[in-house]
Amino acid sequence: MKKNKRIIFTVSLAIALIFGSAGTASAMHIMEGFLPLNHCLVWGAVCIPFLIIGISSIRKIVERNRKTLLILVMVGAYAFVLSALKIPSVTGSSSHPTGTGLGAMLFGPTAMCVIGIIVLLFQAILLAHGGLTTLGANTFSMAIAGPFVAYGIYVVCNKLHAPKAVAVFLAASISNLFTYCVTAFQLALAHPAEIGGFRASFVEFLGIFAVTQMPLAIIEGLLAVIVIKGLEAYAKPELTALRYFEGGAI
Amino acid sequence: MMVIDKLAYSSSLRYKSPMLKSAFSVGSLLICVGARSFIVSVIILAVMAGLTVLSSKISILRYLKLMFIPFGFMVLSTIAIVVNITDWPMDLVSVPIGNKFLAISSYSLTEGARLVAVALASVSCLYFLTLTTSMLDILSVLKKLRCPKIMMELMMLIYRYIFVILDMAVAITTSQNCRLGNKDFMTELRSIGQMLAVLLIRSLKKSSLLFDSMESRCYDGEINVLSEHYPAQKRETIGVAGFLVSMLAIAVLL
Repeated sequence: MKKNKRIIFTVSLAIALIFGSAGTASAMHIMEGFLPLNHCLVWGAVCIPFLIIGISSIRKIVERNRKTLLILVMVGAYAFVLSALKIPSVTGSSSHPTGTGLGAMLFGPTAMCVIGIIVLLFQAILLAHGGLTTLGANTFSMAIAGPFVAYGIYVVCNKLHAPKAVAVFLAASISNLFTYCVTAFQLALAHPAEIGGFRASFVEFLGIFAVTQMPLAIIEGLLAVIVIKGLEAYAKPELTALRYFEGGAI
Repeated sequence: MMVIDKLAYSSSLRYKSPMLKSAFSVGSLLICVGARSFIVSVIILAVMAGLTVLSSKISILRYLKLMFIPFGFMVLSTIAIVVNITDWPMDLVSVPIGNKFLAISSYSLTEGARLVAVALASVSCLYFLTLTTSMLDILSVLKKLRCPKIMMELMMLIYRYIFVILDMAVAITTSQNCRLGNKDFMTELRSIGQMLAVLLIRSLKKSSLLFDSMESRCYDGEINVLSEHYPAQKRETIGVAGFLVSMLAIAVLL
């Protein structure tokens, strides 16, 4: 009797632990050591051209106006803090937003690329989110793919004269979902299923992460709308200062 | 919130050569990920965990807690790798669902177990670096590796300002909580959104203040600071090289 109770207690504790912690860290960073070495190298190589373009354009802008470097610094620190804060989630636990969509709308996608790789490095070192070997893959999904999609959606919605709130919501939530699709793609490529290969495991990764990412994407969309509304109400001049980045300068 | 940073500054290995520490941890990390072998991972995990716990004087429980940070991701993706959705049953476990099977084969199970071992060992390598080396030392290593100057500048300043902005965020959140800003889900969402908006405005203000103060101190696009130099002792270098070579040998031979 006593032994049975103990077993039930242990099992329930294990289940609680698994589901409890699964909810807290659901930002889509691929953890250290999860990708084979050749995948790490290839994803790293894919990011290099974006990085070079980003760095050279930042260098040009900083030569022209030195103050922009410090604005970029604040943007980077802000993006890091954004990802370190916990936002409320429907499961009762909390989770971390990606913040890439919001960043891309405010500062433009190419600036987000350079800032993104720095932020991801800091996240790996200071928060143990992601890792050094998976830095390339994470940069591609969170600092390149996500921001470009968000920016594209935002621009298209503005061209179609959609209400601003709708544009912001769609850009933030779809870029979150896209980031998670790219991550699932990277994982499936690295770990194809025994039967059915890449496609089967891609579907599986998508399905499993959808549980945590679907509600998160909607929450992140709502949050982005509230942030942009707040900024428009209180900080018109600062926003026009940021247009500097958006106008294709970087 | 920044436990890792705090622990790095109080580690007893803090004043060892950052170059050597990085070579040790990144070298083992690469061997571990490249070899993907069970034995190498277990050895590296044991060595790294032992060194980290001893040098930073944290309890094993606390170290385990840190190891649990990427746990959610690991559990979810390992489930995706271990469990297959197939049309026919597999050799270990098969649960029929409709006309499909949720199946685990012995191959996928060993594959999953090996992946978990490699991932945990890699995380322990990362923790060895981050729990013994402060961010500024890591940046000095990047500088020696010829990282672009503008990136270095950005990183140095971003690291400095993370704490300023984090302090602001925590203060705003605390005052929101005092005023029942988290009483239900929608209110909490709204308060966090407002906090993020105000945070951005204040950070931009801070950046313009920073520019003024740096301009008045003759800032010309480059910050030159003296860095402290911690040379590696011969004994330590030999030890690290020996460890890496023996790990490489085990990985190649087995």
